[in-house]
Amino acid sequence: MTAPLSGVRVLDFGLLTAGANTSAMLADLGADVLKIESGAYLDPFRVVGKMDDADGWWNRSPQFRFTNRNKRGLAINLKDPEGQRVIRALATHCDVVVENFRRGVLDRAGLGYAALKAVNPRLVFAAISSQGDTGPERMNVSFGSTLDATSGIAALTGYEGEIPRISGMDVNYPDQIVSLFAAGIVIAAVMEARHTGEGAFLDFSQREVASFTLGEEILAASACPAHQLEPRGNAEAGVAQQDAYRCKDGRWIAATLPKVDHAVASFCATRDSPEVVATLLSRGIAAAPCHDGGDLLHDATLAGVTLARASDGGLVKGLPYELDGKGVAIVRIAPDLGQHTDEVLRELLGFGDADLAILRKSGVTSTMPTVGEV
Amino acid sequence: MVNASLPLSRFTIVEVNDSDVPLCLRLATSLAAKIAADLGADVIKVEPPDGDPARAAPPFLPSGASALFQFLNTSKRALVLDLATAAGRGRLSQLLDRADACLFEEPASVAPMLRAGRATPIEIAGFPSQMAAARRPVSELAIQALGGLMHMIGEPDRKPLKLGGHQASYAAGLTAFTGLAVALASRDFGRRAPSVRVSLAEVMQWVNWKAASGAAATGISPGREGLKSEFQVVPCRDGHIAVVYTVTQWSALCDLIGDAGLRDGRFETRAGRRRHVADLYAIIAPWFAGKTRAEIQKQAQAKGVPFGPVFTPAELLTTEQYLARSFLAEMMHPDLGRMRMPQLPVQWNGRSFAPRPAPSLDRREIAA
Repeated sequence: MTAPLSGVRVLDFGLLTAGANTSAMLADLGADVLKIESGAYLDPFRVVGKMDDADGWWNRSPQFRFTNRNKRGLAINLKDPEGQRVIRALATHCDVVVENFRRGVLDRAGLGYAALKAVNPRLVFAAISSQGDTGPERMNVSFGSTLDATSGIAALTGYEGEIPRISGMDVNYPDQIVSLFAAGIVIAAVMEARHTGEGAFLDFSQREVASFTLGEEILAASACPAHQLEPRGNAEAGVAQQDAYRCKDGRWIAATLPKVDHAVASFCATRDSPEVVATLLSRGIAAAPCHDGGDLLHDATLAGVTLARASDGGLVKGLPYELDGKGVAIVRIAPDLGQHTDEVLRELLGFGDADLAILRKSGVTSTMPTVGEV
Repeated sequence: MVNASLPLSRFTIVEVNDSDVPLCLRLATSLAAKIAADLGADVIKVEPPDGDPARAAPPFLPSGASALFQFLNTSKRALVLDLATAAGRGRLSQLLDRADACLFEEPASVAPMLRAGRATPIEIAGFPSQMAAARRPVSELAIQALGGLMHMIGEPDRKPLKLGGHQASYAAGLTAFTGLAVALASRDFGRRAPSVRVSLAEVMQWVNWKAASGAAATGISPGREGLKSEFQVVPCRDGHIAVVYTVTQWSALCDLIGDAGLRDGRFETRAGRRRHVADLYAIIAPWFAGKTRAEIQKQAQAKGVPFGPVFTPAELLTTEQYLARSFLAEMMHPDLGRMRMPQLPVQWNGRSFAPRPAPSLDRREIAA
């Protein structure tokens, strides 16, 4: 089968999860994704996941490797006019740009939508930002769980009647879901560009994506100001009883009951978690163990298509869905910094040895970071 | 109802709502189809004679109508079919013959027919197929447990918590929309479209990938840290603030709070701050106590510190940023009157996609 997005090329400035995972989903579907970094500005995941100080540490971060498999990697200095010219030339060979810089960063480098549209009107330009590209808060900074708070999700999360809770730095939930939505919209825009010959500027606000998941609560609140909500533990409107219960083996399980049953807590407390889950399931009650990361790694069935192994044996992110009953094919492991710069510039722009040597010597391209922290 | 200038207007999609399907799967199906409908696809929602059970699910509007249903079914047409009868299935088969894709849930009685039809099947399930998924009881809470999300939220010595809202269903719904876009694009590019299967459990596990990544890298799973976390939610004068910052923003945070104690060596590194987190919050919490969320956000943003004021859904209705971007669309429903709800969280060349009212059951709009 021809991959759904084969023949689609992506210029990828995506960083961390929100940006880099949107382009990863396109890569998994067969798009040729060219990830652009520079020695002076690495994807922060290379640094956040730093494992050691030995040479090449920037190529070993698990978080980076998880999110950037199936991409080719280029390191070109965005602040150098020659680097900017090279990137504009690459943009003429691409269908999609994905970026999640702070607003204005690419514009200042002469690489914003207006500049790239001028050289390639078919470009679909996906700008993913905290608050969107317009409005009084467009320049506001946020980091992961900032948006749990400002989107409304935190207000509905927490122990009964206690303070609101955020998903925290090991989840950063709003960063995850934006890529699930943005990838689909980008694909719709590529279809449209193929039909009309005209691309699009797609302005995604991560905060709006998170608030969108509370659509019915916002609608209810708009109709009735008394519709005030607060953290309600694991309860859910319309559900008779549901909660997490501690079992005899010390593990937690979660169960959703069709009618109130006060005996559940003691039933769980006197039995080990596997027996509890099996018994509840056999009675038609939705129940599951509260897995931790180790459980997720070891449950091969559940991991299904969501985790995958790269050719070097490393664990990487898989697909959130099955296509024709299958998961993702890991065609290549995540790129080392600048690994494919020369290859891509030869292939798409016809650069020769002399051109590449000049770029390298002047520091426009590189394979080494010039910074230690980001 | 189809607007020719909308991006998906040349596609027809059938959303099949069979009887006796868990509501949490239906919410995912309906969200995916709603996104396509708001983008202009002709979405025909096939409902059982009693209607989609989401029509009777909370939260409710003062009129008694379901806000949940109204949000999830904008811009669609509805058709009532009794799929227990041969006539109903025959009518569905006709619809599928001229549709590009169909969305349905795995336990549906008509699933085998839908998988074999000309319309590309987008199937929503609870679990991976190897887990006897069609028969296994499912709830959103069980999915958040199984996918490891609950393990990440709350206090370590208290019960694990779910994330608020329908996150298990909606994350799967967003995923199913992207799967649908893959199917439509394949057809549009003249390729055979892959069938798509989305399970709530796998999406939740995928969303929570840092738990597996962390466990693989260190042998120890990340977990809920509660009051031991570097990121805390603290009270302020008119509510709560999420204290969030990156390693590089620590110095700006010290400037913002302005307490010399923060420059103590104990707090210099992330590891040190985590070790002495109670001492850290003893210093910074008083700074918040006398200030409002608006004052805190303004001062923090001026220093580039990403503190997050906690807003309720009701407060989002008056948020300046959302008003400026017209994110919360005004809509006039023919029976229920004026409504405000979030529209699709994307602006396409500056354009928003205003949702159109969800269909009434009794109107029985018949697809031509």
